[in-house]
Amino acid sequence: MIGPLLRPTARMLPRAALTAGVALGLLVAALPRLLPDTESQLFGLALLRATALAFALGLAFLLDDPARPTTETVPTGQPVRTWLRAALALPAAALGWCAALLLVPQAARPPLGDVTAEAAALTATALALAAAAARRTSETQPGRIAVQALPVLVVVGLLLPERWGLFVAPGSPEWDAAHHRWAAVLLVALVVWTASVREPIRRRTLRNGFGMGTLRP
Amino acid sequence: MTVTVSASGLTLRYGGTRALDDVSLSLRAGVTGLLGPNGAGKTTLLRVLATAVPADGGSFTVLGHAPGSAAGRQNLRRTLGYLPQNPGFHPDFSAFEFVDYVAILKEQTDRTARHREVRRVLDAVDLSDVRGRRLKRLSGGMRQRVALAAALVGEPGFLVLDEPTVGLDPEQRVRFRELIAQAGEGRTVLLSTHQTEDVAMLCHRVIVLACGRVRFEGTPAELTARADGRVWSSAARDPGARAGWRTGAGTFRNVGDPPKGAELLDPTLEDGYLLTLDDPDGAAPAQQGEAAA
Amino acid sequence: MSTTTMPPAPEVTRPPADGDRPWAAVLALARFEARELLLNIPVLVLLVLYLGYTAYGLVAAEQDGMTDYPVLQNADRASQTAPQLVALAVLLCVNHAVLRSRRHGTDRHFGVLPLQPWRRTLAHALSAVPLAGLVAVVVGAEFAWAASKPGAVGHGSLFELVVAPLSVLLAGVVGVLLARLIGSAFAAPLFVVGLYVLLAVFSIATSGSDPHWLRWLSPVVPESGGDPLPSGLLGRPAAWHALYLVGLTVALLCGAVTASGRRTRTVAVVTAAALAATAAGIAGQSPGDSRDLAAARETASASPETVESCTVRGSVTYCAFPEWSGRTADWAAVVERVQHLAGDRRDRLTVRQRVEARYGLTSDAALTALSGPGQVTVGTAWGGNRIPEFAVGVASVLVAGDEQAASAVCDARAVTITWLALAAQADPMSAFVHVRLDDRTEGSGLVLAPTDPLGMSAGETAMVRALLAKPREVVSAAVRAHWAELTSPKTSLARVAQLLDVKAPEKEDSRDACEA
Repeated sequence: MIGPLLRPTARMLPRAALTAGVALGLLVAALPRLLPDTESQLFGLALLRATALAFALGLAFLLDDPARPTTETVPTGQPVRTWLRAALALPAAALGWCAALLLVPQAARPPLGDVTAEAAALTATALALAAAAARRTSETQPGRIAVQALPVLVVVGLLLPERWGLFVAPGSPEWDAAHHRWAAVLLVALVVWTASVREPIRRRTLRNGFGMGTLRP
Repeated sequence: MTVTVSASGLTLRYGGTRALDDVSLSLRAGVTGLLGPNGAGKTTLLRVLATAVPADGGSFTVLGHAPGSAAGRQNLRRTLGYLPQNPGFHPDFSAFEFVDYVAILKEQTDRTARHREVRRVLDAVDLSDVRGRRLKRLSGGMRQRVALAAALVGEPGFLVLDEPTVGLDPEQRVRFRELIAQAGEGRTVLLSTHQTEDVAMLCHRVIVLACGRVRFEGTPAELTARADGRVWSSAARDPGARAGWRTGAGTFRNVGDPPKGAELLDPTLEDGYLLTLDDPDGAAPAQQGEAAA
Repeated sequence: MSTTTMPPAPEVTRPPADGDRPWAAVLALARFEARELLLNIPVLVLLVLYLGYTAYGLVAAEQDGMTDYPVLQNADRASQTAPQLVALAVLLCVNHAVLRSRRHGTDRHFGVLPLQPWRRTLAHALSAVPLAGLVAVVVGAEFAWAASKPGAVGHGSLFELVVAPLSVLLAGVVGVLLARLIGSAFAAPLFVVGLYVLLAVFSIATSGSDPHWLRWLSPVVPESGGDPLPSGLLGRPAAWHALYLVGLTVALLCGAVTASGRRTRTVAVVTAAALAATAAGIAGQSPGDSRDLAAARETASASPETVESCTVRGSVTYCAFPEWSGRTADWAAVVERVQHLAGDRRDRLTVRQRVEARYGLTSDAALTALSGPGQVTVGTAWGGNRIPEFAVGVASVLVAGDEQAASAVCDARAVTITWLALAAQADPMSAFVHVRLDDRTEGSGLVLAPTDPLGMSAGETAMVRALLAKPREVVSAAVRAHWAELTSPKTSLARVAQLLDVKAPEKEDSRDACEA
């Protein structure tokens, strides 16, 4: 069942967006090697965060499906198709992330596990936003919505005060607490993504009209 | 004839409006037409029956499968073919690849058998010579036929077609009607349209939907009979008619309650449809006819 | 078909007259797009954030007291960073709006309508104008609020205020250009990330010796962090920068119009003019600090007496930079209260305003202590914590004679100095917390002053707390009566306790920053 789906799904992945995101991310990660006198952990962390954001923005387009009206009603449900896309794209993205980590020079590397957790959380958030947008509207290309909402969320995260901050500097006393919060973000994003990908048997009876007619994503 | 698809009490609300209001119907093998004005809920009903969106209330079964449980819905989808109103396509896929993809999604895993099936449906819709061409290079009519092929692949028992002939030129429309008629042999086909000649040419039964409610369910002959004695000709526009228009001969054709002594005309399906929309109870035409006679 | 019964329809041969209609249509479309822009979630969220942040800054900072005495040449710069939130939202959403018709396939249809694609491009760019106007209003209101304070000094610059709205317009134009060049939704967000990285690279990486011209290519160069400088020492090419922004915006807009298909001579001429303006702006803003500026900064830092004007009140001379002459009264109030507590002494004091301008706008270098007798340093910032810090400086000069001697105070005189300074404040205990480096009133610590801090031991801190609990006049009388002993370096802490009638500490212990 999965086997024959691999090739068509691979062809359906949004190549342009993914390539642009990964390319920009790798270029950003390579900057310390290209510029002199830029080997500080703070700098390396800032660049890796930008790399993670670039990857996440590219992956936000993963769930775009122009043929959605047709593929909505087939026995192979949406969860299978979505996880298949993720299974094809995410390992490549992970490889790209490892390359980015290696590109940053040794002296400028922040704690790798923690910064990878941040990258994973950003990616999961992008995918959760796309899945939620696809679920709430009949949008066939939810990537464009996710890709607008993600920078806004990042800006809000940057503006958070220290006590609830996410983007803290290395060596700050808040580092561990902040990364617990990142883990929570990752968990919430994964839950939202999984929940949005389901196809409900019953319809929720909440009023469905709130906000959908007037606000545009 | 056994009932293959039956629905009872389907309701669906979008925000404040009832898109479907207590819709009940029963379909048999053959082609059933779903007529109705825009905004009547035709697409919504078809999407509910195709399990694209769950209803708020009510239930339905298709060939014995009920979508109330995940397994039931899965079984229903295995026997379903759906042609949506705006099918959407992946522009870089060729016609063959797209239908093949949908076939895989319909769980046809054996490659040889699947390719044979894809070729068969593409032949059936007369696209065998453009099999390898990319979808973005096909004309609108050809893309519509690709979408029909994707709906037909896997020999579904229940075929749901949402306005399949919209945007096609008359020759293409005739071809489509042939395809649908062929598909209707031995299968249940539910076809939504707002072109009455499609229904007149094609359908064994017709359902009229307006404002989310079923106004009529029966044969086309019965729908036409509703307008018996309620269509007449006049030299000038008759203000008392429900609808009237100038014909090519210069006279007016009116539909409604004819005045005494009017020259009655033979009704068509369209007249019956118009009267049903206007007049939900379908007042017995016999009274007016007797008065006229 | 029978047509004899109907009169023939009138022929339509002439197209409708169009005079100004195209431009009116552009404006109408711009109004429509501006309304759509406001309905976008990023714009709503970030606009609310921006307005909330500004309002919070105005209201909450009031309680701090720091904003009662704004320096206008800092206030105009401070309003430049927050509107970048709005600029980000405008870039993303204008880009999204231009891509809307590509996305829904209406480009081909719209392309044959009377309003040409390049006019639609212009309309999209103009749709950012209302938001830029809103930012301008908010920035103007912030500045007016600061300028209306009675304690405001200095001069603001219109060109600094105009940078924020111009950057919003620039963001809109960049969004339009990106949409015309790259027709996919991923372009603008990735561009934002790339831009952020570029800016971060040049601020973090080369923060010591970064090329001046490179830094000023960024739309917003806040240069905040240091103490306020006199307007003449700022060295900020604000007018050139505004010209650069205007030129860049128009040049990019012309690029977008060209990419939409309009390639006429007018566009070429306007592009050339805009590029010339941009180049002029870059040329004007690129030179680093000129030699004259460096010399002026050197003079102001090393020998401020040559540029200051002095007034005399009683026995105290107040010397201030030209823009700060209105603050003399505030300084005098503090000096006179401290003098009164010390016994209405008639010492000749000189309060000299000083600034450390040699390291630029962002450095927060400390001022060195003055050596002349009776000379007290006061900085360019005032309000909030600066007031008790100044009082500490005055008290230490009264007690020790001059600032250099005061910075060497390593004995019980710290008690007298601290009490004199704090008792002169409206709320002595909270002033004590603020004036301490560690914000605590227990244990040893440093007390901040305009130049060098004062070290206090735990015992001395406890004594000051006890003194502040007693009535002011009682302690003041004791201070006056025993002035000579209290200001002698040889007096022990126990003796001071005895003189001032408080409990002496059990043991002497260490203090910070004491070079004995």
